Amino acid sequence: MLRQPRHWMMTFALAACLVLAGCASPATVALTGTPVPPATVTAPAATQAAPAATAAAPVTATTAASTSTAAPTATLPPPTATTAATTAASGPITLTDSLGRVVTLAAPAQHVVTLAPSNTEILYALGAGSVLAGRDDFSDYPPEVTQVPSIGNESPHVNAEAIVALHPDLVLAAGITSPDDVAQLAKLGLTVYATSNAANLDDIYKDIQAVGVLVGKMDAASKLVASMQDQVAAVKAKTASVTTHPVVYYELDATDPSKPWTAGPGSFVDQLITLSGGTNAGDIAKDQYAQISLEQLVSQNPDIIVLGSATFGGQTPAMVAARPGWQSIKAVKNNMVFAFDDNLVSRPGPRIIVGLEKLAALIHPELFK
Amino acid sequence: MSEAITNPVPAAARTEVIDRADRLRPSPRRGLGLAAATVAALLVAALLAVVIGSVAIPPGAVLALVLERLTGLRSAVAYPPAYATILFDIRLPRVTLMALTGAALAAAGASYQGLFRNPLADPYLVGVAAGAGLGATLALVFNLPSTFVGLSAVPISAFVGALLTVGLVVLSARVGGSMPISTTLLAGVAIGSFASAFTTFIMLRSPDGLRRSFNWMLGGYAGGGWDPVLIILPYLVVGMAAVQLNARALNVLQLDEEQARQLGINVDRVKLVLVVAATLMTAAVVAFGGLIGFVGLIVPHSLRLLGGPDYRRLIPLSAIGGAAFLILADLVARTVVAPQELPVGVVTAIAGAPFFVFLLRRLKRSVF
Repeated sequence: MLRQPRHWMMTFALAACLVLAGCASPATVALTGTPVPPATVTAPAATQAAPAATAAAPVTATTAASTSTAAPTATLPPPTATTAATTAASGPITLTDSLGRVVTLAAPAQHVVTLAPSNTEILYALGAGSVLAGRDDFSDYPPEVTQVPSIGNESPHVNAEAIVALHPDLVLAAGITSPDDVAQLAKLGLTVYATSNAANLDDIYKDIQAVGVLVGKMDAASKLVASMQDQVAAVKAKTASVTTHPVVYYELDATDPSKPWTAGPGSFVDQLITLSGGTNAGDIAKDQYAQISLEQLVSQNPDIIVLGSATFGGQTPAMVAARPGWQSIKAVKNNMVFAFDDNLVSRPGPRIIVGLEKLAALIHPELFK
Repeated sequence: MSEAITNPVPAAARTEVIDRADRLRPSPRRGLGLAAATVAALLVAALLAVVIGSVAIPPGAVLALVLERLTGLRSAVAYPPAYATILFDIRLPRVTLMALTGAALAAAGASYQGLFRNPLADPYLVGVAAGAGLGATLALVFNLPSTFVGLSAVPISAFVGALLTVGLVVLSARVGGSMPISTTLLAGVAIGSFASAFTTFIMLRSPDGLRRSFNWMLGGYAGGGWDPVLIILPYLVVGMAAVQLNARALNVLQLDEEQARQLGINVDRVKLVLVVAATLMTAAVVAFGGLIGFVGLIVPHSLRLLGGPDYRRLIPLSAIGGAAFLILADLVARTVVAPQELPVGVVTAIAGAPFFVFLLRRLKRSVF
């Protein structure tokens, strides 16, 4: 009768499992339907538009939850008259972040703390790894980033002491950062920019452009976005002609193999499977991150099983074959079960393109030799 | 106390019974020593918690900066500006919030244990935790705007959720004019289970809300600074005063409800006042601190073992002891795996439970 506290403990334990599953999966990048104003750039925007525009159009057409129909670079206004178009900014930088906050920097940031792996990876991809003064605990790529001091992770809250002690001139929060944490850091006098809770590739491109502006790497950002768009276009060109669309089951977590978690419609994984010329078995779910029953999975009978659960759950194809009830699935019978680096598709950063190429190679190996 | 229950004194001998109830403590002198020890523990804990943190600030710098702040005189050494920010804007408000939270939870726990005459009673017994959890989760999932007096909607919503849930429990438990204890407990469990199940359902429907409400449950409100302290302080002062004013009635209630009634105590009013006071305190601190277990259970019981069951003494002692305990637990939580922080509730349970068992074994006395 007096077990209420314990009951709560059990709820916590359940929630803990789910949160861990959530952290290990793209759940952390899910957009929950809140309209987020796109990052508008009023700082000296470089010449990012031209090479990207043609490649960008088909991308936006295929992204499920796209909020903009134009090429992502089109939201960036032309360079202002007072600054040179192609050199790093010399005047103050003013951007509006994904929380609608106006963020101003006197000069490009030299001392940055990132609160999410995606932002860390964007910095390195822009060649700005040297400005990284601190990172969150989940940031583990590129490998040398582990030399940079960690400020812990945000569960339950960011460690404000550790961040303040690093004297950052910019804190890069992400869509997964709690707005309360962002407010707390801002109240302590820090400059905080929150990248988007990316729902599609366009959002990632915008985040890359914005980070480029903040650290004075606009050219690198434009080049990076253009090359990502080229790579997406290349995959699309190859998969445009496919006649078969294999059914792909992407596994996020199978702690309970009779009710595994998968990526539902609108999730990044769903978008990438579609781009790769496959059909997402998780499309039957309602939510972006959904627990489906083994019964449903068996009736979907996927041709290919991709184990994102290999990254955090240590699942292997052999373990899948040994799961009771899974032997009847086509992918298991035909040895089409593959371990996969979930970080490639769960972090809304530059490596998502690597994830796309790897997925496409698994789904249509005949096209990617 | 058990002696008082097994050998009830005839109702006629009123004053004698009340005297006995008052004399539940072992000895006045021992109580004074314990009070001094608890206050000393609180001071030491607060001092340690200000000096030690995930970022090392030399004790000399702490002293110099505090003196500088108090006297306005600039110290000879120029310390990094981050030191002052960390000390006055992060650490001090957090230590104060933890002190108030520990005090409220322990005092509320002591009053509930007395009121329900049940050693397992804790501040979350009648639905505060479940209601606060539901309120916070709703605010997070529906992304309520954070404009109310400049605060996040989350703590406000948690507070309102807790009050509504307990209000519902009290209303459901009332039979005629009175509030039978067993009915109150059952209503608390039923409505609490409903609220927490509903919370789980909402959390599962929203992956982003799930992570955030889980973080709130474990770690409370992230805002930091002095605002939370200022907001919960009035609830604490009023709640603490109300509980303390009813401490003598709590003593008498330990004998028997019927007997207490005959002795002229308005039992139903005492119950209602205590439930409302304990709920106000608990809801206020839970809204900002999240759900922190075991403080309301272990601290009052430890002090009861050491200082006897007189509620006039036990309640203030629990408040001070709870403050000291939670400050220390939070100190461990933010330093043991620095820069990562642990939820303070994990520390209170891991450190508190064995300590409590040790006390039980050591004193070899009945807890309640």
